[in-house]
Amino acid sequence: MTVRIAIQQEDFNLAEEYEWLRQISPAVGAVVTFSGLVRDFESTDGARNAIDSLSLQHYPGMTESLLQEIVDQAMRRWPLLGVTVIHRVGKLLPAEQIVFVGVASQHRAAAFEAAQCVMDYLKTRATFWKKVDQNGRENWVESKDSDQVARQRWAADD
Amino acid sequence: MIKLLFFGRLGDVACDAPKLIEANTPAEIRDLLAADFPELGRQLREPQVLVSVNQMIVSWNQPLAAGSEVAFLPPVTGG
Repeated sequence: MTVRIAIQQEDFNLAEEYEWLRQISPAVGAVVTFSGLVRDFESTDGARNAIDSLSLQHYPGMTESLLQEIVDQAMRRWPLLGVTVIHRVGKLLPAEQIVFVGVASQHRAAAFEAAQCVMDYLKTRATFWKKVDQNGRENWVESKDSDQVARQRWAADD
Repeated sequence: MIKLLFFGRLGDVACDAPKLIEANTPAEIRDLLAADFPELGRQLREPQVLVSVNQMIVSWNQPLAAGSEVAFLPPVTGG
């Protein structure tokens, strides 16, 4: 079992991350990757608004241990061969990559489920905070109840 | 002394608050801060705000040892 967790300002390369997961073991039969991107922003009335940039803050040290705990929990639940979690911090522009989760396993079901589970816990537990810059106004992003609901489907292992 | 950290929107309302304090529990820190910074006090009392001591989420009544790092964490919004 191979785990890579990185919190970084610089971008990541999807092809390189996929290659790394692909070659970790001859037993790998499935690789699922997820990338999260900077997108436009819904206001409370449902309108979509372009953003100028997104700033991501985190709690150094605590974030890394929380991500490790989230990955450990997924490893106990599914037979995984490799997991990569990369989260960017600092200022990001529209359409830039924010987060990468990649999971390698023997069969697809474990890889699909584990990737979703890791993302659902990352969104609701890992100590990151987003601020949106829109027309010169900065606003902290509010957490969403739908993310809590998404996480709760894995609660048997919580 | 206890070292204080404020993350996310709490960092904006805590910009004038002390970053070192003497206290026995996170709840006591919250009360001391609320006395001088009412808006910060109000936000720290929101039920979704969590507190950590030395990077572990704890209850507000956790006893604090000298030199501890206490962080106030609004709901996270990463990913």
